This record gives sequence, C-alpha cells and structure tokens, in this order.
Amino acid sequence: MTASLRVRDLCKSYDGVRVLDRFSVDVEPGEFVALLGPSGTGKTTLLRCLARLADPDAGEIYVGSHAMHLLSGRALRVARHEIGFVFQQFNLVRRRSALENVLTGRLADVSLWRVIAGRFPEADCRAAFAALERVGLLDYAFQRADQLSGGQQQRVAIARAIVQRSHLMLADEPVASLDPAAAESVLALLRDIAREHRMGVLCSLHQPVLAERFADRICEMRPSPG
Amino acid sequence: MGALRFTAILLAVGAFYAFCIAFADVDLWRLWKGLPRLAAWTARAWPPNFEDFSTLLQRAAETIAMASLGTTIGALIAVPLCLFAAANTTPDAVLHVAARGLLNILRGIDSFVFALLFVAAVGLGPFAGVLGIALHSAGSVAKLWSESIETVERGPVEAATMSGAGRLKIITHALLPDVLPALASSMLYIWEFNLRASTVLGIVGAGGIGQELKSSIDLLDFPRVFAILLIVLAMVTFVDQVSAMVRRHLA
Ligand SMILES: Nc1ncnc2c1ncn2[C@@H]1O[C@H](COP(=O)(O)OP(=O)(O)O)[C@@H](O)[C@H]1O
Ligand SMILES: [Mg+2]
Repeated sequence: MTASLRVRDLCKSYDGVRVLDRFSVDVEPGEFVALLGPSGTGKTTLLRCLARLADPDAGEIYVGSHAMHLLSGRALRVARHEIGFVFQQFNLVRRRSALENVLTGRLADVSLWRVIAGRFPEADCRAAFAALERVGLLDYAFQRADQLSGGQQQRVAIARAIVQRSHLMLADEPVASLDPAAAESVLALLRDIAREHRMGVLCSLHQPVLAERFADRICEMRPSPG
Repeated sequence: MGALRFTAILLAVGAFYAFCIAFADVDLWRLWKGLPRLAAWTARAWPPNFEDFSTLLQRAAETIAMASLGTTIGALIAVPLCLFAAANTTPDAVLHVAARGLLNILRGIDSFVFALLFVAAVGLGPFAGVLGIALHSAGSVAKLWSESIETVERGPVEAATMSGAGRLKIITHALLPDVLPALASSMLYIWEFNLRASTVLGIVGAGGIGQELKSSIDLLDFPRVFAILLIVLAMVTFVDQVSAMVRRHLA
C-alpha cells in the first residue's frame, strides 16, 4: 500500500529566511501524525505547501500517487481533491448552513448550474447528512455556520473533509481556538476518522500533552537556524 | 518644523481655493443683483400648477423605469466585469488590468454624456436614457462590487479550493453568500443615485420628467416648474425610503 503522504527534502524561504529546511515526513494510511512545535517553526507553512496553497521552493510531495510538487492547473485541482484541509479558523462560509458547508466537499463533482441553484444531487446530500451524523451534528444541519460554537464549526469542517473522501487530512492547529473539552473531542474525532477511513492525518499542534495523548507518532519541528 | 509644515499646507490650500474662485468666476455682487429676480419667480411659482397631471405622472413613471432598467442592465454587465476586476477572483493578470481599465472608463463618463451619444444613435426618448445609465452604472457597480469582493476573507475560498472544484463553483458556493448583502446594498445605492440622475436626463432629450422640466423652464412657467420639482422630490424620497428599507432587511 502506498503512503498517504510522503514528503522529501521540502524547502521554503520567505524573504531569504529558511522556514523549511529539507523537511521530510511520511504518513501511512490510517495513521495520525502530530506535527509538534512552538509557534513560528513553520507548521502552517509546511501544511500550506503540502496542499499547494503556497509553493515550495524545492523538494518532493507525494499524496497517494500524485506528485503534488509537479502539478499545476487542472491536474493540481484533481490532486487537491485527495486532501481534506482543516483550518485553525474553521473557514466555513458564515451565511451557509452546516449542511451546505459540508457539501463544499462535493463541489468538484457537481455541475455549475446545480451549485448556482443550490440543488446538490441526492446522493451527495445523503453523504453530507451521514457525515454530520458521524461528527454528532445531525440536529444542526440547517443551522447557519456562524451560529455554531467553535467546536461545532470545527466538526462541520471535519465533516466537509469526510464527504470529500480524501486519502489525506491536513489539519493546521485545529484546536488552537477551542476550549479544552472541545479540543479533546475534536482530536478524538480526527483520530477515529483516520482509522475508520484509512486516511492519513497530519495535524499540527503546539501542546505536547495533546500530541502524546492522541497521536500515533509525533514529528517535532524545530526552529531552523535561519 | 510642525508649525512650518502647517503654514505650508495652509498656504497651499488657500492658493487652491483662490484658483478655484477665480476660475469658477465667483461674483457675489451678481448673486446679490439676481436675488430679486429669483424672489419674483419664486413668488410667481405659487401655487404649483398640477394641470395635466397625467402627463407628469407618465413622465415620472418613465424616469423610474429608466433608472431601474438602466441600473439592472448595468448590474448584469457588472457581474463578469467585477469578477475580472477583483484581485482575488480574476483568472488572469492581463484580464484583471483590462477589466479595471474598462470599468474606470465607464465610471469616468457620466450617464448624461452617454445619454447624449445614445440620443444621437437611437433617437430621442427614455431608451437612450436607459442605455446611458446602463453603461455608466456598469462601471460604478463593478467598482463597488469588486471592492466588496476583495475585502472578503480568503479562508472559506481556500477551504473550497481544497475540494478540487473549479473557480466559478468556488466563487458561487463559498464567496458569494458572504458578500451578497453588500452587493445588493451597493446596487440599491446606485439605483437611488440613478433615479436622481435620470430626473435631468430629459434635458438632453433622453426622456423622463427632465423633459417637462426643461420645457417649463424654457417657457418661464414657474408654477409648472414648482409642481415638477415637488413630484421629483416625492419620487426621490419614495425610492430612497424603499431602498433604505430593503437594505435594512439585508443587513
Ligand atoms: N506569507 C508569508 N510571508 C512572509 N513570511 C511568512 C509567511 N508565512 C509565514 N512566514 C514566516 O515563516 C515563519 C513560520 O511561520 P508559520 O509557518 O506560520 O509557523 P507556525 O505555523 O509554526 O506558527 C514565521 O517566521 C513567519 O513570519
Ligand atoms: Mg501556524
């Protein structure tokens, strides 16, 4: 079985300052890897480079069979479909319901006119409801995103990644703006989903305690010498 | 140092206004001499003459129709224009610059001027007014819209980008909902503005109540002018109220 994620010698500088210096990591399917490091060590930079929301300077990134570092345009879009991304600030569309936000994960396979009309195929809606049920938010399906608590919003964001049926989940400090109870339940959810869907999860954290409790493996990031 | 700069700024502003007053031919003495004439006209304007009220109403309706259609057509043109012009939705750097240039040109030329050209092209009447308003509004609306779109958070758009969907689907699903109230609000604002602008379009022959206004002023029929001004005021107030009400609901 191929790895969910293989990163080799990734480099990225901002304004001449090396943020990532030949960084390498592997994540196997079903494995929850915590990316641990104090703030400013390049966790966000790394995750954004992996998703190609930022462009690395050098190195190789394989997500499943996709060579992310080589792709652009349409091929990059197809490859991104394999990556679910969970952001620190949730990044839900405020004025859309939880359900519609989850359906974002199915956007690639739905025709433009259906998106404009807001009429997603029934199978997609069923998948979205199932994902909401899985994260414990079925009762909130029609609630507007900005009326949910932080923990609930992050669960919606995870449901959004579930319906995308990706092979890799990248999570950038997904619990940094949550209270301790919500943080634990979100991390437990991420870990369980990794197992259930045989999905690799790379999740950045800055609290060692949480990393030790939930991660299968910890990958420490140190400040690069600059 | 601070005082010196302050004096310099004061001098520059003073010089600017001196220049403006000289070029605008401002002459308070002439205003003073003209006041009795204005007063006499105002006195003769009472009572307002609402004779042939149905014609006035028809012209008023023409004005509202012109402003509303012009705004709508302008907004339709603005849809692609604003997506090309906003830095975060444009598909291409060259299109971005081209769209910005085009909308600045459209915005820079007043409806009045466009209407003059269209009167020459399609003849007298409100249709020329509609076209004039549409072109100018396309620029204004696209400008306001692209600015709203540029202030939107990029987070939800990035999240939708990770779905692997194309640009238009991402914009529709993840960007529009959060800016739609702002877009609707600025379109209503332009509608109000266009109604005020269309009250004078008749002066260049582009139909509406401005046509009655011009002919009444030409005939020095002040009671009639007064009646028309009252109707314009009522109309503008009405549209402002409706628009404000809708905008409150959007907020
Ligand atoms: N877009 C950017 N432009 C310039 N510098 C950046 C940018 N993004 C991150 N950096 C710099 O890269 C370093 C790592 O930042 P980041 O990846 O956000 O770390 P972390 O997520 O671990 O806190 C910081 O010094 C930050 O200032
Ligand atoms: Mg960070």
